[in-house]
Amino acid sequence: MSIKSNNIDISLGGRDILNNISVEISGGEITTVIGPNGAGKSTLLKGLAGDVKPDKGNIFYDDKNLIDINIQERAFTRSVMSQLQPIAFDFSVREIIEMGWVDRGQSDYAEEFENAVMDIVLKCGVENLIHRNFNTLSGGEQRRIHFARTLLQLWRPSDAKDPKYLLLDEPTANLDLTYEVKMLNIIKEVANEGSGVMLVLHDLNLAAKYSDKIILLSDGKTVEIGAPKDVLRAELLSVIYDIDIEITEDPLFITYY
Amino acid sequence: MNSFINAFGIKNIHVSSNQIFILNAFILLTILAFILACITGSINISLRDLFTSSLDDLSRVVLIEIRLPRVILAGLVGASLGISGAALQGLFRNPLADPGLIGVSAGAALGATLVIVLGSNFVGSFALGSFLLPMGAILGAMSVILLLYFLTKGFGYQGVTYMLLVGIAVNAIAGVGIGILTFISTDSELRGLTFWTMGSFGGVTWPLLIPAILIILISISLMMTVSRNLDLIQLGEPEAYRLGVDVKKLKYKIILTCAAAVGASVSLSGMIGFVGLVVPHLVRLFGGVNHNFLMPGSAFVGASLMIIADMLSRTIIQPAELPVGLLTSAIGSPFFLWLIFRIKRG
Repeated sequence: MSIKSNNIDISLGGRDILNNISVEISGGEITTVIGPNGAGKSTLLKGLAGDVKPDKGNIFYDDKNLIDINIQERAFTRSVMSQLQPIAFDFSVREIIEMGWVDRGQSDYAEEFENAVMDIVLKCGVENLIHRNFNTLSGGEQRRIHFARTLLQLWRPSDAKDPKYLLLDEPTANLDLTYEVKMLNIIKEVANEGSGVMLVLHDLNLAAKYSDKIILLSDGKTVEIGAPKDVLRAELLSVIYDIDIEITEDPLFITYY
Repeated sequence: MNSFINAFGIKNIHVSSNQIFILNAFILLTILAFILACITGSINISLRDLFTSSLDDLSRVVLIEIRLPRVILAGLVGASLGISGAALQGLFRNPLADPGLIGVSAGAALGATLVIVLGSNFVGSFALGSFLLPMGAILGAMSVILLLYFLTKGFGYQGVTYMLLVGIAVNAIAGVGIGILTFISTDSELRGLTFWTMGSFGGVTWPLLIPAILIILISISLMMTVSRNLDLIQLGEPEAYRLGVDVKKLKYKIILTCAAAVGASVSLSGMIGFVGLVVPHLVRLFGGVNHNFLMPGSAFVGASLMIIADMLSRTIIQPAELPVGLLTSAIGSPFFLWLIFRIKRG
């Protein structure tokens, strides 16, 4: 089970953003994309999610070409969280989370709807927020609610085996330490249950700690793909980020669980 | 109760039981307003006579030929302005969108005026009038929505006020068009035009009403089917797309149905301001902002308010008649101001 891109090029507004990218997001793993600003991380996520079409090359969800998958079917298969927009009307937090529920037609789990919502609400620890007006929440709280919505979109009964992918662009932006760790632990759990997870992260320490695989992008090209210890090398990162980087097992490094 | 609501195409899991209760209260309100408006007027009809069908001939003629079409028209126009307001506010993600304010009603009025003034030269008689008039109005409404579409780069979010400024310009353009047509029209045509400025439900007859009933009911039913998608688009277009919403199709569906509903309404009643703005906000205050509740709620509240407004307009200064648009604007414009201040504070 995987999302694969074969030599894709993506340009936006006439500017080439990604060049000849071949990557794979596998089920059961967290694959993290890192790289300097403007490297094309978010564009890669949008490409793999199907928001933007590659100019060249193909994207496959298992053996199915993404362009042959209709948008409803995509919505059952992958959920995406990226930069968020303000919401004009006063929806309740619960309503925002429920927007993640995709009506699936024949294979609908409609009778499970209530259970699914409560499942996710408890998992994300937002039960004290669900009756609040969404627009009165802080930025970090809003992000946690959108994360819950993203998880609800992929909710399945425990015996379901169909593939699913979670694609998250900077999910931990605006979160304090507690919720950053909590969210990443939930993401880890989702991956352990078999889903494919793709993260875009700025924080290299978080990337090192949580990823199974890291894709280092620079200037629209893949520089290195591999296990964190293989990609996060001081001499390589120093060149890519253009500052001196030292990798240490810091005696004062605080470990959280 | 749930299955009754389902007849309107609402998925239960997205409407709370509290909201279903409120919707039923709205339906009841509409029915009561309808009955009250049917029996009240310059000739009062007793409720007992109505239900035992022992009306005298005069009352029967007044009821069936004059009052019934008028009350039905008021209800339909209220429902279509209310639900179109809700749909446009949802689509534009703008609490100030209203068919009147953004110029859609003015476009419809211009279309209808064109048919009256120029149409009579081409068609010769008004034999086709009952279809031609709504068609002209619908085309006018649609042209304005399409113009807005291009001016807002595909209804992209441009802030709350931009669209209102565009609306001022569009209203002015339509005003010039109507002004010129009024100037060149003959006396008999002019009589048909004057009521457009303030709106009225008087003088409607069954042959004029029946095409409008069809157009409005079909548009409203189609609009109901996109309620859930209007919720999702509040997250932003990319997010809605990722949740399986065909955003382009949604936009076209709302453009067509709103143009049809508003156009058909304006062609028979003229421009009636502020209903599309006030009604959805009122409904949100009662029971929530989700469109599965808001859309049917706005249709019923719009219908009942308009039926009551029309009843007041023809009874408070008998035997004269107050233009109903004057009444709705008198109530709606202070509300509009309040809304602006509220949004500014928020």
